[in-house]
Order: sequence, then structure tokens, then C-alpha cells
Amino acid sequence: MAKGGGNRSRLLLVLLLVSSLFLITLDLRGVNVASTIRGGVATALSPVENLFSKIFSPFGRFTTDLRNLGQSNSKIADLTSEINKLKAKDIVDQDMIGQLNQLKNVLDLAGRGGYKVVAARVINRGSAATFKQTITIDVGSKNGVSKNMTVISDSGLVGVVRSVTNNSAIVLLMSDPTFKIGVRIAGTQSIGVISGQGGNSYLLQLLDATGEIKVGDALVARGSSGGRPFVPGVPVGIVTTVQSNASSITQNADVVGISDLGSIGVVAVVISPPNDDPRDSLVPKPKPTVTVYVTPTPTPTPSK
Amino acid sequence: MSQLRVLNTSIFLFFVFIIQETVIARIHFPFNGFSLYIAALMVLLSLEDRAGSLVFGFIGGLVMDLSTSATTPFGQWALAMTFIGYIFSVNRESLGDFIDRPLLFVLFVCASSAISMVIFLLIGVLLGQENGPFLRNILLILANTFWTFLIIPIFLPVIIRIRKMLLTNRERV
Repeated sequence: MAKGGGNRSRLLLVLLLVSSLFLITLDLRGVNVASTIRGGVATALSPVENLFSKIFSPFGRFTTDLRNLGQSNSKIADLTSEINKLKAKDIVDQDMIGQLNQLKNVLDLAGRGGYKVVAARVINRGSAATFKQTITIDVGSKNGVSKNMTVISDSGLVGVVRSVTNNSAIVLLMSDPTFKIGVRIAGTQSIGVISGQGGNSYLLQLLDATGEIKVGDALVARGSSGGRPFVPGVPVGIVTTVQSNASSITQNADVVGISDLGSIGVVAVVISPPNDDPRDSLVPKPKPTVTVYVTPTPTPTPSK
Repeated sequence: MSQLRVLNTSIFLFFVFIIQETVIARIHFPFNGFSLYIAALMVLLSLEDRAGSLVFGFIGGLVMDLSTSATTPFGQWALAMTFIGYIFSVNRESLGDFIDRPLLFVLFVCASSAISMVIFLLIGVLLGQENGPFLRNILLILANTFWTFLIIPIFLPVIIRIRKMLLTNRERV
């Protein structure tokens, strides 16, 4: 009896393994069954994601906030007084105002670059089990969004559209370790490739052997043919450390991303590239510093 | 195992999948990671008999393959979870009854969640996928194990109770 049960289990195991391998083969050979099913699920889930996005928006960064708790008593005291001031000013919806500001800045950046964009709200983040760093946005093919379009935030590059459904799209973030983009050092013709490292730091490999990298150099996207997947001129990051290694053929540098991918709420999808390359016009200008001169007043000497 | 049972459990797994994709994925866990879905599936598989752990491993994996953020081939999670179901079906009886030993149950769920993610990555490597730096993936798996260890004791009684409700009258006896 047990032997019969064991044989049945073995047969079942073989059947399920063959089914799994069959599905994988179908997908790898480009049969559209899998993408259609995933697209259907995404279309069905996006209204639910929208709903939860509205409900959980103020609580989304709960764990991050919890980690920072107790770091500095004085900071907490300052923040408490600030909260009281904010309450006094009767600011009802900070979250909404923040999103409006982000939207304004995104549209401002797109306008300066000459990009035709569709604004979108981030409605979800990719599950940890997928090993990919992605976000879901609330615009899809009905808004003119399609695969391999550049996604920007109010400060620069966010990622690229990976897949699209009718009313949502999945964006592969530039922090994903499989993400690579060709960049140019602003103000020069030196070109290189930036790779995601999983966090907000990136690795720059300069392709130009004679080029020079300096700390503080701004990097902009070189752009792809036809503006897809990358439109030219979008700020990508700032060089923080130059790795000097005499034995290396290419020069490497550590780069910090220009967009804070952990806190983006509003983005824009570039649906049409600019007619002319905006070159370095989108690179953030350094803020002017104010110098204050103080002349010490002479101390009065006692008269004899 | 009746067809009704398979249908009920599949609906339950899909419900947990929706919670994972719409609520849990939204929370910024440090080191990026807790999968309630994998943990719930491991709890279910560990309570099943041989055929049950194979069938629900496969179905659970198929549901995971529906993830909208997944860029892996459709069926990769199904293959990984079928392997896990097989491992459960072979070794499950030697570990005894989990219901009376909750700590061992939680540790078992944590370990099996980690192993399922490792198997998923290994299949990806065999298929020629680029999965990013090795250390980062290890950190992700460890973080998921850590959060599973902390959070799953809260959900464990609920999942066990729901599973009891999903059993048919004959299976309850």
C-alpha cells in the first residue's frame, strides 16, 4: 500500500516538474501566455494597490522612522516643538502638499529638458521575493506609456519602464544591480557606464582612458537611439569618491544617485524625447553661499 | 485530497498573495525584506501529507509567478516550490508533529523560507539570469529569515486555523 502511495507521489512529482519546466520553456521562447496572465493580474490588482496606497501613504515609512527613534534627544525635542508649530498652523495634509511639490518640480525639470511627460504616482514597491528593485506607477498603456521609457523624478533619473498594463506600469529602479546606463560627465565629453549596486550608491566606469574624474562631477544620461530606453540630458548622479588604481585599465568612481529612490512619491514617464539634446542644462546648479563679514567692535579701555 | 480542497487552498493562497503584493510590499523593512506569502506557504506545506505538499508547492509557486514585479520566467517559482514540496514530503514525517512544538515550527518555517529562496536563485543561475551581487542576495535571504522569525509567530495560529477550516469533513476525521 505504502509502495503504491510512493509510486503515485513520484509520478505526481515528475508531472509537476515537467509542467514547471514546460511553463519556463514557453516563457523563455517568448510565448505570450505568461505576460498576458501577469498583465491581467496587474490590471486586476492596480485598483486594490491604488486603494492601499491612499490608506497606507502616511504609514509607509513607519519602520524607517522607528529605526531613527532615540538617536538624539535634542533632535526629538526640536521635532516635537516643530510638530506643535505645524499643528498650530493647521496644516491638514502634509502628504498631499509634498506630492504636489514633487509634481511641480518634476514638471519643471521635464519642461527645462523639453521632454514630453506623463506624471504618475508611485502606488507600490516590488516584493522582496522577486530580488528586483521595482516600483509600480499608476499610469499605463492607456496614458501612452510603453516599455523602455525613461522615468524621472523632480531631481533626475529614477529608472526605466519594464512592463506595462492598461492602467499601471512596473519601473525597474536604477538602484537595481542589473541596471546599467551610459553617462557623460557634465561639461566634458568623457563617457562611462553607471551600474546599480542595490542602494543609493553606484559604480561609474569611465570608458575614456584619457578622461579625468573629479569628486563633485555631475553625470548626465548620454541617451539612447530614439530616446529609448534613455533620453539624453537627465541628471543621474554626483561623483563622491574616485578610485585610483594604477593597474586598472579603466578609471572607476563611486557615485551617489541624484534621486532619493526611497522616498519618491511622484514621478514622470518621458513619452517623447526632446528635439535637441539639453546637454548640461538640467544639472543642478550649486546653491550660492552667503559670506558674512564681521568687524569686531573695539573694547573700551579705561581712562586713567 | 479532494478537488474542493485544492480549490479552497488555492483561493486562500491567492488572497495571501494579494496581501503580500499590496500591503506587505509597501512597508519599508530594513534590508528590504519580509515575504508573508512564502512563510504562509511553508506553514501550509509543513502540515500537508506527501501529495498535498507537492501539489500545493506547485500551486503556491504558480501564484508567486503571477507577481507583477517579477521579471523571472513564468514557472520558475513553481519549479522551486515543487522542489521544496518534494523535500517536505520526503523529510516531513521524520520531524514529528509541529503543532505541539511551536518554536521548532517557527524555526522550520524560517529555514524552509530561506532554502526556497536559495533554490529559486539557483534555478535562476541555471537559466542564465543575472541576479546581482552574491552578498546582497545572501543579505536579502537573511533579512527575510530574520523578519519571518519575528513576525510569523503572530500569523501562525491564524494560518493553522484557516487551514483547519479549509479541510473537508473526511480530512478532519
